[in-house]
Amino acid sequence: MGPRTAASRRPPRVGSRRASPAVRLHAGFIVISMLLSVFAVRLIQLQGIDPDEIALRASQDGTVDVSLPASRGDILDRAGEPLAASVEGVMVAADPLVTAPRASELAKFLSPRLGIDYVTTLERLRVEDSRFSYIARRVPATLARDVLAEASDEGFDGLFTRRDPLRTYPGRDVAANLVGFLGTPADDGSAEPLAGLEESFNDHLSGTNGRARYQVGAGNRLPLGDSTVTEARDGADLTTTIDRDLQWYAQRVLRDTIRTSGAESGFAVVMDTPTGEILALADEPTFDASAPLQSSEDLYRSKAMSDVYEPGSVQKVLTAAGLIDAGKVTMRTRLKVPGFLARQDRPIRDYFEHGLLKLTMAGVIAKSSNVGTVLAADRYDEGELRRYLTAFGLGDRTRIGLGGETRGILPDGSGWTSQTGDRIAFGQSLSVNAVQMAAAVNTIANGGVRVDPSLVRGSATLDDGTVVGTDVAERRTVVSENAARQTMLMMERVLDPEEGVAPRAAVEGYRVAGKTGTAQRVGAECGCYDGSTTVSFAGFAPADDPRFTIYVVVQNPRSGGGGSVAGPAFSKMMTFALRRYQVPPTRTEPSSLPVRWR
Amino acid sequence: MSEMSAVARVARVVAAPTLRSVPAPVRAVTHVPFLVMVTATLLVGIVGLLVFNTNMQQASFAATALNAQAESLTAREQTLRLELDRLRDPQRVAAEASALGMVPAPSTGILHLPDGRVEGTPRPATPEDGIRLGPLAPVKPDVLSPAPVRRQVLPPDVPVAETRGDRTDRPGGAEGTAQRGAEEQGRAQGRQNRPPDQQRNRRSR
Repeated sequence: MGPRTAASRRPPRVGSRRASPAVRLHAGFIVISMLLSVFAVRLIQLQGIDPDEIALRASQDGTVDVSLPASRGDILDRAGEPLAASVEGVMVAADPLVTAPRASELAKFLSPRLGIDYVTTLERLRVEDSRFSYIARRVPATLARDVLAEASDEGFDGLFTRRDPLRTYPGRDVAANLVGFLGTPADDGSAEPLAGLEESFNDHLSGTNGRARYQVGAGNRLPLGDSTVTEARDGADLTTTIDRDLQWYAQRVLRDTIRTSGAESGFAVVMDTPTGEILALADEPTFDASAPLQSSEDLYRSKAMSDVYEPGSVQKVLTAAGLIDAGKVTMRTRLKVPGFLARQDRPIRDYFEHGLLKLTMAGVIAKSSNVGTVLAADRYDEGELRRYLTAFGLGDRTRIGLGGETRGILPDGSGWTSQTGDRIAFGQSLSVNAVQMAAAVNTIANGGVRVDPSLVRGSATLDDGTVVGTDVAERRTVVSENAARQTMLMMERVLDPEEGVAPRAAVEGYRVAGKTGTAQRVGAECGCYDGSTTVSFAGFAPADDPRFTIYVVVQNPRSGGGGSVAGPAFSKMMTFALRRYQVPPTRTEPSSLPVRWR
Repeated sequence: MSEMSAVARVARVVAAPTLRSVPAPVRAVTHVPFLVMVTATLLVGIVGLLVFNTNMQQASFAATALNAQAESLTAREQTLRLELDRLRDPQRVAAEASALGMVPAPSTGILHLPDGRVEGTPRPATPEDGIRLGPLAPVKPDVLSPAPVRRQVLPPDVPVAETRGDRTDRPGGAEGTAQRGAEEQGRAQGRQNRPPDQQRNRRSR
């Protein structure tokens, strides 16, 4: 073999398997230009024709836009116990296309676990032409999760959940008249309150929903993807001044009283004397806030606030306090009280027949004499009684924060005739709501200083912008401290076993001052006094250093008056309240004012 | 240079050595370290980026899983809180106490701890101090509770004494005591099952 030369390394020209370089070059050129032209066309297509829509689609693919719901604030009692609380809930829904084949088994599986009706569920699982059908709403999240896990273990498909928050009312009927309830949420998920504090403070309790936009891949959020988050602002809690246990007890005692006296309804207000905070505002009958549809609609409001009634003889203490403050009488003023007074077109009588009685002012209050009160009220100047009653708060809303409050009816101007004036002195011909009257009696308990009653601790803003609460409660002096003290001593005689009309309202071991009331009621049909009565008892204890004012009203009892129906209820509630707050008895002698004179 | 003599030039040409091939160099300039460095940088960069990205994605998975766990625990906490509220409901506690035979205390005594002195008048509770806890009977429609039959019976002319402690503040009314007694009797006969709305129809006094 000879040395390999460069010439021998070159492949032979003839019969080569590769084409000439020029041909290959041309072929490559053609292929590349074809590819490039495809790219060029696509480029023109993407950028030249409607580039914005394509960009939008690209950005939306894999982007999640969710609203971050705000959780609703709780409604709490004064100790922080929840009266209304929000709980994570879900709605369970089904895809009928998938569930229809095994609908009956699935319905049988779901109905005991979720507490829903079998037949309704069966129908919903078989709805035609639908891919979405509600099975159960507002189910607690853990329950729904467990049920769906079990269902998928059993091989049932087609069930899914969506967020559906749940509002619970742990107290059920306790304070239901105050708290209210929520209805079906609106389409955008916001709550629709239908009554009570839920409604008046809806803006305060709902927050503002937030929004989050982020990109996802395979169900997980991309850390480097675009994301904007506006945090949700949760609703604020609303702390009321209500004491849940005292409210419960007041409701049960009231219910018991209504049952034994055969009455129609009743309400009770318990106020803390120095601060004007409402510890209990009970209405019976009332509804269960966790199942409102089981009761009729007229129970949804607080009748103590929205229904007016004539206060009756409890009014006498306001008249008497005003008289003493104006210097017209004292607690020992002597009056000659006849059996009836011929005034205007109808005589004014007392509840008991009597001839001419020699009663002191204390005796007029202790025996609840209408005639005596009218004789004393004659000493008022023109318009003076009305000024005092307005100062006590009658005829004006208390604005504690519940909607639907009535302002009561206090006649004025030409409406205040001499006939009306005489009868207003002993509590007829004017109308009040229960909280107004309780606040007025509390003024006497509080040494003549009226404190605005309040239901909200701290302060909170109503939906219309008004601020209510203990922080903004006003105080004003209505009668002097001496007048309040004298009235208190007269009121103590009401509970005297011999001379008073309400010995059963007494609380063992404590000095109690109070006043009964039995007022004629105006009937709805005839618009006149139809013979039914409103009986009530208002009082405070301990009398010389009052801590609580309690006002009990019972509508239309079958028999009995303020002393026998409302008095025992007052006694039970006051005993409970004094013991619960560990108020020591004041070890002083009770009042022994003379009720008669010779 | 032209100055150089032709003789010198020829001599230079003649004296020039014959060309012979230069032997192949023993050592070539290697590019391997450079290539290795570049490749290594590339690999480190790529792998590092990959690892970093993977870690972030894993963290994202972990975040999703933890979020789901947090939600589930929150839901469970709320269920437990609901259960706690249900147990602390005053109605339930009172019902259990009542089932044990307990009643609300009727009076309060104050025990002074330093000297053991008892103040006030505490007395033992009796079953009469209990309060009813169940709801009222529902108001029945007229079909289920017909109006009572009332008969008024006039007693002989004996004034009925009023009982102490039950004085009613009846406003006005000048009826005689005999008629009041008759009404009491009539009411006693028709006392069962009178729903509240029937009372509006009652004509009294």
